[in-house]
Amino acid sequence: MEEEHNSNEKENALCGRSLTAASRDGGGRMPAAPLAQGKVERGKVYSGDGVLGYLEMLEAQAHELGLKQEEKEQQEKKLDRLKARVQELRARRDELRAKVELQEKRLLDKEGVMADPAQPSAQTVLEWKVKSLKAMLQVFYLTGISGKLTKQGVCFCISTAYEGTYLDSYYVDLLIKPLVKIQRHSVPVFIPLEQIAKKYLQTDIRRFLSVLSDHLNAYVGRRHQADQLEEHFSDHIDGTLQRNSLCNLLVFNYTVSSNSKTFPFNVRLLYGDLCCSLPTEAIISCTPGTLPLLAEMAAAHSNAFRHMALHKAFDSLINAKESQN
Amino acid sequence: MDEVIVEYIRRTVLKIPRDEIMAVLQKWGFLSEAQLQTINFRQTKEGISHSVAQLCEESSADLKQAALLDIIYNHIYPNKRVWSVYHMNKTGEETDFFDFRDFKKKFRRQIQSALINVTINFREYEDNAIWIRIAWGTPYTKPNQYKTSYVVYHSQTPYVFISASVLRSNLPLLCQAMVVASNYHDIHEMELRSHCLNSLKDIVFKRYSQNFQTNYPLQERNVLTENVDLRINDENRSEKERIYRLNQESFGNGPQPKLDFAQYKLETMFKSDPKWDVLEKKEPFRCLVKFSSPHLLESLKSLAPAGLADAPLSPLLTCIPQKARNYFKIREKKSLHPGSFMQITFKDHCRV
Repeated sequence: MEEEHNSNEKENALCGRSLTAASRDGGGRMPAAPLAQGKVERGKVYSGDGVLGYLEMLEAQAHELGLKQEEKEQQEKKLDRLKARVQELRARRDELRAKVELQEKRLLDKEGVMADPAQPSAQTVLEWKVKSLKAMLQVFYLTGISGKLTKQGVCFCISTAYEGTYLDSYYVDLLIKPLVKIQRHSVPVFIPLEQIAKKYLQTDIRRFLSVLSDHLNAYVGRRHQADQLEEHFSDHIDGTLQRNSLCNLLVFNYTVSSNSKTFPFNVRLLYGDLCCSLPTEAIISCTPGTLPLLAEMAAAHSNAFRHMALHKAFDSLINAKESQN
Repeated sequence: MDEVIVEYIRRTVLKIPRDEIMAVLQKWGFLSEAQLQTINFRQTKEGISHSVAQLCEESSADLKQAALLDIIYNHIYPNKRVWSVYHMNKTGEETDFFDFRDFKKKFRRQIQSALINVTINFREYEDNAIWIRIAWGTPYTKPNQYKTSYVVYHSQTPYVFISASVLRSNLPLLCQAMVVASNYHDIHEMELRSHCLNSLKDIVFKRYSQNFQTNYPLQERNVLTENVDLRINDENRSEKERIYRLNQESFGNGPQPKLDFAQYKLETMFKSDPKWDVLEKKEPFRCLVKFSSPHLLESLKSLAPAGLADAPLSPLLTCIPQKARNYFKIREKKSLHPGSFMQITFKDHCRV
């Protein structure tokens, strides 16, 4: 008890001293380390009143001061670094400026007269030429048949399209000497390339390319139509679309309605002409016995398939059906 | 009959890696989702296979379903079998309307007219690939489901991929059936064999990148992209670029088809210093050279840049995809200059 009392007295004495110290510093100025106020303000819990508590407080403050000082030091370092960088960049800029001036001077000495800024410089002319050449090559590519001379012959590129959509490109690398021969190619194996080459390659290269291009474009067109049908109308088709590599035989089933009764139709599309993307035959069959009723509809559908692109024909048939209902 | 089928299904499931069994069974589609949920996939494969077998027995799986599962397994893991490529010829020029139903009928009829004890199943995939599974029996015994041959055929093409497995005696019948069903005239085996079915397809269908020269689309000039470490100086940079360029010309830019080996049968005369006179008789020196690799063409492509061989590589090595063969016979080159022959130069003795 007595000890406690003593410690309290000591603490009060200390507080008293600090307060007087503060007042001696001069009115208005915040003491550098407000002791009693600090203790309350910071709301920290010290392990006890008295010397230990006081020492703890001092330690904490010193720690914080240390942190602040470190931060300040780092900022100063950063500032120095940035200043140095600025100097560096300025020096580089001056260097480059000097170089440019030197170049200009040299150019002046060579030409003798300053280039007219209105006239395009050689550089821009070249760039324009390159750009127009690239555009020309692109145009050739888009026409469908383009070629490039190689060491031993020519490499032709046949690019295919169907109704505005550009599809795959195929290559044929030809040797010219001693005979015109196909060295290698990327034409699919089910296209009758050997037959076409046998007929036309030796005599008329243009015809060869034209016929091959027709085959490839037609194949790609048929394949595109079949893909479109599968993609957009798979819910209107019963089962799956049966096809083959050349897409020259397509078979599928769908339902039609007449007099509020539904009937299944089976369609066989035969593409007899490999250079054509429309079928030569469209055979529609239905369950035996129902033909007399549906003959007219079957004929109309067959007609549609033979004259319009498959997905468009099917689309029109579906819509006609729906408008009927 | 049921137990045999169920056991067959169980053994097929055992072949599948444990993590993929669920996916394969879903593709199969015979067992419903509800049934699949009842299988505990944390147990051993043995346990899983028994669970599946149990479910199949309850659902009365038949031979067709079992065969379908086997086809699906082989379609997902085709590299477990060795595939040979066959080439068919036809003389007519008429357009062929390949009808899948017709094909199946003709194929089945052709085989069963000679051998009734077979199980034949077909499955068509989106890329127009037709998979045919044939389980062979004999005139006196039922088909053995474990002795199967597989045929993969893309319609309207002259190439057939066959994995005959054990019974090679049935191969002529199989080939004949293919020819008749696909409207061709004859068939012969090509000198092309590999485990990787897709690479074989890439080679014969010319689906691998062949590096054609075009004006447009503009080809980017392939400059060697290296780690730009300024402390390293390339003394032989031009040589490196030359090798790189020649390699690109021979092999192209894209990934190479995957082959396991290339075999060269030499029937050439042994050339040596005349004064040594190694062989008394001037007979061709018979020798077989076989290059094996997990990925032969990629390893050949990396020989020159790695400094193990001179660039350009011998055309005997680079012509493999173009000629679509990995069995070669090298005979004496009949030329005017004696002593000229094909030479493959390797800097060290090394296994490719």
